[in-house]
Amino acid sequence: MSDFQVSVKEVDDVVVIATDGYLNNIGGEKISDICDKHMEKGVNKFLINLEKTSVVNSIGVSILIEIIEKLQDTKGKLAYCKLAPIVEKTFNIMGLTKYSTIYKDEEAGLSDLSA
Amino acid sequence: MSGNTQYKDKIDFYLNSLDELGEVLINQEGSSGITKGVLRIILGTLMASKGSIITVKRTRCKILSSHGISAQQKNLSLNANQKKALTSFKNSNINQKEIKEIFDPKSSDDLPVHFADLKAAIMVPLFHKDNLLGIVTLGKKFDGSTYQSLDKKILEIICNHLTDSLYNQELIGNIKDKRMELRLKVLELQTLFDISLSLNSVLDIKELSTEVLIRSVSTLNASSGFILETQKNSPMLSVLSSFNMNEDLVKSAIFSKSSIPFNLIWKDKKSIIISDEESNPFLKKTGYKECIVSPIIGNRNISGCIVLGDKESRDGVIPFEKNDIDILEALSSQAGIAMDNAKLFEEINAAKRFNESIMGSIATSVITINLLGEIDSVNKAGVGLLSKKTNEIVGEHYSYLFSKDQNLCKAIESAEIELESFAELNVPLMSKSKNTIVNFSVAPLTDQKGSHLGAVVAIEDITEQSKIKNTFKRYVSKSVVDQLLDDDQKLNLGGEERDVTVLFSDIRGFTAMSEKMKPKEVVSTLNSYFSEMIDIIFKYDGTLDKIVGDELMVVFGAPISRDDDAERAVQTAIGMVESLKKFNDKRVKKGKVPINAGIGINKGKVISGNIGSKDQMDYTVIGDTVNLGARLCSFAGPLKIIVSKSVKDEIGDNYKTRKLEPIKVKGKRKPVEIFKVLT
Repeated sequence: MSDFQVSVKEVDDVVVIATDGYLNNIGGEKISDICDKHMEKGVNKFLINLEKTSVVNSIGVSILIEIIEKLQDTKGKLAYCKLAPIVEKTFNIMGLTKYSTIYKDEEAGLSDLSA
Repeated sequence: MSGNTQYKDKIDFYLNSLDELGEVLINQEGSSGITKGVLRIILGTLMASKGSIITVKRTRCKILSSHGISAQQKNLSLNANQKKALTSFKNSNINQKEIKEIFDPKSSDDLPVHFADLKAAIMVPLFHKDNLLGIVTLGKKFDGSTYQSLDKKILEIICNHLTDSLYNQELIGNIKDKRMELRLKVLELQTLFDISLSLNSVLDIKELSTEVLIRSVSTLNASSGFILETQKNSPMLSVLSSFNMNEDLVKSAIFSKSSIPFNLIWKDKKSIIISDEESNPFLKKTGYKECIVSPIIGNRNISGCIVLGDKESRDGVIPFEKNDIDILEALSSQAGIAMDNAKLFEEINAAKRFNESIMGSIATSVITINLLGEIDSVNKAGVGLLSKKTNEIVGEHYSYLFSKDQNLCKAIESAEIELESFAELNVPLMSKSKNTIVNFSVAPLTDQKGSHLGAVVAIEDITEQSKIKNTFKRYVSKSVVDQLLDDDQKLNLGGEERDVTVLFSDIRGFTAMSEKMKPKEVVSTLNSYFSEMIDIIFKYDGTLDKIVGDELMVVFGAPISRDDDAERAVQTAIGMVESLKKFNDKRVKKGKVPINAGIGINKGKVISGNIGSKDQMDYTVIGDTVNLGARLCSFAGPLKIIVSKSVKDEIGDNYKTRKLEPIKVKGKRKPVEIFKVLT
């Protein structure tokens, strides 16, 4: 199977996770692990750049929901940017967008989350 | 402080705790928040330092909240015996002794060890009816005292509330699960809807298959997948698209219709789930633990297969279900129809490109006209001929496009009304220019069923040929012009050495004769004479090289060579003599002086080509052969034909000849053998 790749950077108090590949169980767990490690350090704002992820399944979505639930305890935020139309539609249907925000790009997400 | 006061204070303290409990249960959201708050109240109320609240789902336990203990959350579970034992203590206290009995640390089963880690002095199983929802554990009191009946009573009251709350949370969880299931169904339906839209709009097979594949993989939570397509005249299946697969595996794997599982797919035309690795090499080949294979059926035939592997869950790979087959078959059946459409579209496009390529490569202009009389298409030659851009032609009505060519418009009209073809040759195309000469034909355009669709006009621009014809026909016969136009490979107007036969004819005593005639009569006599002679020359496909005064020079073998060049030259000469005799008979009858021409013919190598200056250039032949031909002519008496040995050798005994005395020719060391053709 092809690998799901992530790159992580911190911009002010926001952790930006850029993904590359199929956001499924494996991809979701990778993101979840990154979020957990940062949450342990007290970081609670995450922006996931999904520009290079064109496909997501419901397992991947359910993991994102779990991350949102964890962040709710610390009044943290999970947001996404650069979503492919099909991914955005999936997020809407699965109810993800009620508890998290979609931004056009990283710049817009960072400026809103850092505020 | 009296005992009553102490008891009252304790009751107040417990009532405050219950009040606080009410707030926690109302205000906290989620099991985690509630159990955290409730545990804090229990520990504070009962003065305990250690405790935990555990949820139970079937046999699996999860510590939702804990304080003062370091129990491993993982692997915490209950076996059936323990669950059964707990039912005897529904929402009531279990003391340490009873706990030990239920969770015997010495048991070979190591699971109870983890419960031992909880260091519970007291435990309350939380039952809603017969359903064990959780367990509250409590360690010893701070002060080492034992739990009193009041403590246990208040613990039971709190635990009853907690049970109700956990039950409510379970209901909420179930509703959430149902909502998630509903959303997944919506997602499935949306996927099917999106796919059907894509299938109607996407006509590229590769793009289409990729769309179907990634939608199928994501909807069925498969880890990866690929689509195989059939190949013409081959049992092999080629990979049309893949998603999340090992590229090397996809490229190197060989799939055949006759191998498992495809032989079954082709036989039954039904989807199958493959999970038995031992008996299935396909799983080994793909690396899947389990996969689902569905045929892509379009137009009754299987055009390929969609393969999805390893259904994901949070707990690893799980089996595909009947519902997955239903969804995949719904997707693949739509894909089958769409891929058929896409293939058809590709074939139509290929046919269209093929036609356009043919139409574009032919020199004849081809214009199609629809039933409204508008131009539907025009090929490259047509665009060139009409000197307009394609968009200036297409959509225009033919009556406007060919407004200056009424004959063409009438032909189009007649073709459309009478459904017959019409053609005209060698006519000017006035819509272009009066100098543009064309042949055109108009034919009705019909479909396979014979329904009238419009007309097709073919216009052949023959302006150049016309010019060539007009130019050449003065020098060569029509048949030679036609040969040249049919095959311009024969036409080499550059310099080249070639074998030709040259014929010279010259009027004997013409200078003296012309001195007795008026200039006008000289011209008309010569014109009549040449006209007769040229007819004969062209009859035998000779090339009229030049007319100098009363002398004619004719070439056989340039620009086109033939095997019988020499023979035709002799035939021409004999014809000229015979024609001249008749010509003279007429002249004599009219009281005019006969014209006596002598003819000389030689064969040999010459240099042929366009010779002259850039302003005046003529196609001619030069060389010794030509000079000797001219000399032979000068030796020929009136109405006599003299040929060289090279001509004699060519014609053999087909013609009667008589050898004459060799003649001396300037520039030739030896006398030249000559022959007289007897007419």
